[in-house]
Amino acid sequence: MMAGFLDYIPGTSFLHRLNPLTKLLFSLILCVSCFVTDLHLFILGLILLNLALGFYSGIARRSLRILSALIKFSIVLFIVQVLVIHDGTALFYLTKSMPITDLGVSFSLLFVMRLIAATMPLTLMLSVTQMSDLSNVLVEKLGIPFRYTFALTTAIRFIPVFAAEMGGIVEAQTARGVAFDTKNIFKKLTLLLPLCVPLLISSVKRIESGAISAELRGFNLRKRGSGYKQYGIQGIDILALAVVVVIFVLGILF
Amino acid sequence: MIRFEHTRFAYDKTPVIDDVSFTVAKGDFAALIGANGAGKSTITKLCNGLLKPQSGRVVLNGLDTKTTKTSLLAKTTGFLFQNPDRQICKNTIAEEILFGLEFVFDDEAKRKDQCQFVLEQFKFDGKRDPFSMSRGERQRIALASLLARDPQIMILDEPTTGLDYRECTQIMEMIAERNASGVTVLMVTHDMEITQDYAKHVLVLNQGKLLGDGDVADVMTNRAVLEAASVSPAQIPALAMRFGPAFTHVSTPEQMAERIARGCRA
Ligand SMILES: Nc1ncnc2c1ncn2[C@@H]1O[C@H](COP(=O)(O)OP(=O)(O)OP(=O)(O)O)[C@@H](O)[C@H]1O
Ligand SMILES: [Mg+2]
Repeated sequence: MMAGFLDYIPGTSFLHRLNPLTKLLFSLILCVSCFVTDLHLFILGLILLNLALGFYSGIARRSLRILSALIKFSIVLFIVQVLVIHDGTALFYLTKSMPITDLGVSFSLLFVMRLIAATMPLTLMLSVTQMSDLSNVLVEKLGIPFRYTFALTTAIRFIPVFAAEMGGIVEAQTARGVAFDTKNIFKKLTLLLPLCVPLLISSVKRIESGAISAELRGFNLRKRGSGYKQYGIQGIDILALAVVVVIFVLGILF
Repeated sequence: MIRFEHTRFAYDKTPVIDDVSFTVAKGDFAALIGANGAGKSTITKLCNGLLKPQSGRVVLNGLDTKTTKTSLLAKTTGFLFQNPDRQICKNTIAEEILFGLEFVFDDEAKRKDQCQFVLEQFKFDGKRDPFSMSRGERQRIALASLLARDPQIMILDEPTTGLDYRECTQIMEMIAERNASGVTVLMVTHDMEITQDYAKHVLVLNQGKLLGDGDVADVMTNRAVLEAASVSPAQIPALAMRFGPAFTHVSTPEQMAERIARGCRA
């Protein structure tokens, strides 16, 4: 189940103690690093680094769950990619018109590895950062209006809520006889599409009532100076950023 | 027929349903009562295979829910959720009802007939948009969609919550009518008057355990069980309990009148 993939896990590790802005930059640079290189080994290294960071911050189980979900998804993507890419020299033929090529394999592998390496830092960052801290620091340090950061953080916070809602809808339709309990993924997807209507309706309703209640509590009065928490930059922030910049530069060099 | 045999279920670690056994026979009308969070909705979802028991068995019409596909069980079972919005997914009432029928009747003419029938019964305009209607009205749409399927078993999670008195009575009459023609009903409710008036059989759930299972008259006059389930008895049984031991098992206005008359004569 998707629910609970992104919420904050409390802790006091090195990563937890970083400035929220550092965490954001750190994960973004890690994310971008896997697109500046074409080296499989380098990206593999990044994935392992993410995993190590996850273990070090005490969220090992979450990291492994995310990794295994991403791998499952990647296997499907990989197979589709390998089947459609016909450039390069053929390694072997599935049928006469369907070669599996060295380029296809190499490219598809790179593609899914990038996908994994780019997703992991973001989920890692969200797991060790409280949403309110993230939004406060964007307002305080970058001067982004609170309404925008609020929209962003609310959107992220709502992902698991929507996932739970979708689960409820699937349940309701299964009870009517829609065959969601099929093993065929493609069939499941075609069944899922019409259900986006109730999901959309319930989301809009939720957002509307959220907006009204925020407004009633003086949401519009909030200014840059309204936050009381201070977010200082410390030695560990500099260190973390230095490390990730080195990784990024290494990525470009290779 | 619905049968639970030493059923246990937990969402994560803490058991939500703990060693529950009961039988709702064919044609029975059972009310499932209990405090908020007692596990009533969980029981209903176990009934039609949306949730599978971790130990013990749930048998629906002779089929073990663990080994039968939920979508197959759904063909003969009507399920009304506590939240009707998750079910409604079409832009008009008629489309919504017809969509639900696709999984039950292969014949299109039959589907149209069934749809027309419930539209008239509920006095709905089939072309209206369900999402622009009030919550109570959407609840009725969900019920209409369920009744159109002619289910053999109806599992209803709080079908009358949030409806006004007249709507409530109308809906209960429709359910009672189906029950009279042999449909098995298991209904979750917090309304003791409804339980008193319509149910034949009451199941009392408290923190995942079955505290009471028996005739309406027996359970509804058992103060200990009702208190444990944090429900207050309906008015007639409450009055009977105040009158003391001479009035045990009095639960309908007729019985009450008869006992009082007997008392006056004596
Ligand atoms: N999807 C879920 N995941 C985890 N726990 C759940 C889930 N659904 C319900 N629970 C828990 O199981 C218990 C029983 O819930 P259930 O919904 O069956 O209660 P209920 O008797 O229907 O209550 P109500 O009268 O409020 O509808 C509650 O403690 C609830 O917190
Ligand atoms: Mg419930």
